[in-house]
Amino acid sequence: MKKWAKNNIGFFFIIPWLIGFLVFKLYPFGSSLVYSFTDYNLFKGIRETGLMNYLAVFEKRQYREALIITFKYAFMTVPLKLVAALFIAYILNFKLKGVNLFRTAYYIPSILGGSVAISVLWRALFKDDGLIQQMIRMLGGNPPSFMTDPNWALFIICLLRVWQFGSTMVIFLAALKGVPEDLYEAASIDGARKMKQFFSITVPLITPVIFYNLITQLVQAFQEFNGPFIITNGGPRGKTTLMSILIYNAAFQKYDMGLASAMAWVLFVILMIFTAISFWSQKHWVYYADEE
Amino acid sequence: MKNLKKFMSLGLAAMMTVSAFGAFNVAAEEADYEECTIKFAWWGGDSRHEATQKAVNAFMEKYPGITVEVNFGAWSDWESARALEFQSGTAADVNQINLSWINEFDSNADVFADLNQYADIIDMSQWDQVNLDMMKDSAGGQAGIPVSMTGRIFYWDKTTFEEAGIEVPTSLAELREAGKVFQEKLGDDYYPLALGEFDRMILMSFYLQAKYGKAFISDKTLNFTEEELKDGLDFIMSLEEDHVIPSIVTIDGDAADSLDQNPKFINGQYAGILEWDSAPLKYVNALAEGRELVVGNEFTDFGDNGSTGVFTKVSLGFAISSTSAHPKESAMLIQYLCNDPEGAEILSSERGIPESKAAYAVLDEAGVLDPVIAEAHSKVMEASEYAEDPIFESNDLKGSEGTYTYVFGGLSYGEFDTEEGAAELYSGIVDACEG
Repeated sequence: MKKWAKNNIGFFFIIPWLIGFLVFKLYPFGSSLVYSFTDYNLFKGIRETGLMNYLAVFEKRQYREALIITFKYAFMTVPLKLVAALFIAYILNFKLKGVNLFRTAYYIPSILGGSVAISVLWRALFKDDGLIQQMIRMLGGNPPSFMTDPNWALFIICLLRVWQFGSTMVIFLAALKGVPEDLYEAASIDGARKMKQFFSITVPLITPVIFYNLITQLVQAFQEFNGPFIITNGGPRGKTTLMSILIYNAAFQKYDMGLASAMAWVLFVILMIFTAISFWSQKHWVYYADEE
Repeated sequence: MKNLKKFMSLGLAAMMTVSAFGAFNVAAEEADYEECTIKFAWWGGDSRHEATQKAVNAFMEKYPGITVEVNFGAWSDWESARALEFQSGTAADVNQINLSWINEFDSNADVFADLNQYADIIDMSQWDQVNLDMMKDSAGGQAGIPVSMTGRIFYWDKTTFEEAGIEVPTSLAELREAGKVFQEKLGDDYYPLALGEFDRMILMSFYLQAKYGKAFISDKTLNFTEEELKDGLDFIMSLEEDHVIPSIVTIDGDAADSLDQNPKFINGQYAGILEWDSAPLKYVNALAEGRELVVGNEFTDFGDNGSTGVFTKVSLGFAISSTSAHPKESAMLIQYLCNDPEGAEILSSERGIPESKAAYAVLDEAGVLDPVIAEAHSKVMEASEYAEDPIFESNDLKGSEGTYTYVFGGLSYGEFDTEEGAAELYSGIVDACEG
C-alpha cells in the first residue's frame, strides 16, 4: 500500500490541473466537435444534424475568402517576424555599448503589443489624415488610404504583429549566445566573412530554435484576433476578416455555435497539417547537436 | 364664468395627475416583500449610469432589506455577454432589454418571466396596451415592459449650415440642394448628412414606406419586391452621387468607432445625422465648442402623398429573468423605476421619454425633460406611420457581417450595382424572416 501510494502520489498533486484540463479544455474540445455536426443555436437548440456547417465553410464565398485571408496573414506575418527578430537579435548579440538598453527597447512592443490600447493607437496612426498619412504628405508623397485599401489594410495588421517581435527575439538571442565562440574563431582564421559565418555557422546551429519559433508563431498567426478585430474589424469589405473573427461573430453575434465549432475545427485541422509538415520537414533542415 | 371654467379645468387636471400617481403607488407600497439581494443589469452612457445608480440607492432606502447589486457598462459587446448569461441561467434578476432580445433569446418563452404574474405590483395601466403588446413573447406572456418608444429623426449642425449660408433642410429637395452648396462653398470634405450602412437602410425604408404606402416588414414578411428594393437602393446611391452623403469608403477611412467619435462630425464636416430621438445627447456633447446641433423634421416629400414613412419601435424595456429567485422584489424595482414619482424623476429622460403615463406626468410637471429629446420625440411620434418589426434589426441583417452591411458597403465600394444589391438584400431579408 505504501509503495503504491509512493508511486502514485504524483497524480494526487496534479489533480487540480487535471480537473481544469478535463473541464475547461478536453470537454469543450470534444463537445465542439459534436456541435460542429449540428446547427446548435444558443437559444434555439439543435434542429438539424449533418455536414452542413463544413459544407458551408468550403462552399460559401465569405468563409472561403476568410480562409484565404488567414493564409495570407500567416504567410506574411510569420516569415517577416522571424527575420526581423533574428536580425535584431543578431545585432544585439554583439558587444555594443548600452546593448541592454536596446534589448529592453526592442522588447517593449511585445509587452504592449497584445493590448487593446496599442491596437487603438495603431488605428489612429493609419487612419485617413492620421499621423502616417500626414508624415508622408510632409515628405511630398501621396499616401494611400491604409484603412480602405484592401492590400494596405491587411499589411498594417500584419505590421502590428511583426512589430511585436520582442519575445521571439529574446529566444533567438539566448540561442545565439549558445553558439560556441571557438567556431567563429576557427572560421575567421579560415578567412570566412561575417555573412558566411552567419549562414554557415549561426543559422545551422540555431535551427532548433528557428523551428520552435516557427511553430509557435504559426499557431499564433492562425489564431490572431485582437489586432484585426480592433483595427479594421474585418474591413474594408471583409478583406481583413480572418477565420478567428468569423468564429467570434458566428458564436457571439449569431449565436450559431454549430457553425462556429465547425470553423474552429477547420482551423485546428489546418494548423495540425502545417505543424505535421513542419515536423516532417525538420529532418531536412533542423540540426540537433545530440544527433549523429 | 371664464375664471370658473379655468379653475375647473385646472382642478380636473390636478385630480387626473393625483389619481394617476395614487393608483400605482398603492400597488407597490402594499406589496409585502422579503429581505433579499437582487441583481440589475443595464447598458448605457455615463449620465444614464449615474442616474440609475442614484435611483437604485433611493429604492433601497425606500425598501430596506432589499439590496440591489448593479452591473452596467457600454453597449459594446454587452449583448453577447448577456446572451450567454440568459443561456446559462445566470442573468441578473432585472434586465434592461432590447425589443429584439425577446425574439432572439426568448423564442421558447422561457428566458423572461411573464410580468402579468406581477400585475399587482407593476401598474400595467400606465402603458398603452398597443405598446405592451409589442413586448409579448411567443406564448403571449408579457416578456418585458416598454420603457420608451423611439424613432429616427434628422439632427443638423446648424453652425455648418450657417457657414454655407443656407438654412437647415426641411425636405428631401432642400437636402439635395444643400449637398451642392456644401461642395461649392465649403469644399469636397463637407457633407450635409452622414449615414453608415444601417442608417442608410433606415432612410431607405422611410423612403420606400412613404412612396409605396406599406410597411417594410410586417408579421415576419418582407412586403417589397426586388424591383422596389432596387428603387430604394437607387435613391440612396443618388444621395451619394449628389454629394449629400459621404461614401462608406470615406467613412471607413475615418476609422472612427461611431459618428459621435468621428472628428469630421465633431468639427462640422459631416453636418447631419439620422439618429434615434432618444440618443441625441451624445452627439450634442460631442460637437466642438461653439457648434450647435438642432432637431430637424421628418421629410414628407419622399413620394407624392405627403407621407413620412417613419417607423417607431420600443427603444428598450425592462424584464425579469425567469430564473430569478426574487421576481416579486424585482417587479417592485421595475415599478419604482418606471412609475414611482421619485424613481421617475431621478431617471428623467435617461432612457428616452418614458412611455409610462405616470412617469411622463412627473417629468412634464417638474419641467425636467431634456428639451432636445422632448422636441425630437414629439416630432417622431407625430410623424410615425409604422411600427418596426423586430426582424428588421436581427443580427443576421444588422450585424457587422449582416446583409445591410454587405449590400450598402458593396454598393458604395462599387463591388456591384443596385440590381445585384437588391437581389442580395431581398434574399437576406427573406432568409431572416424565415428564421
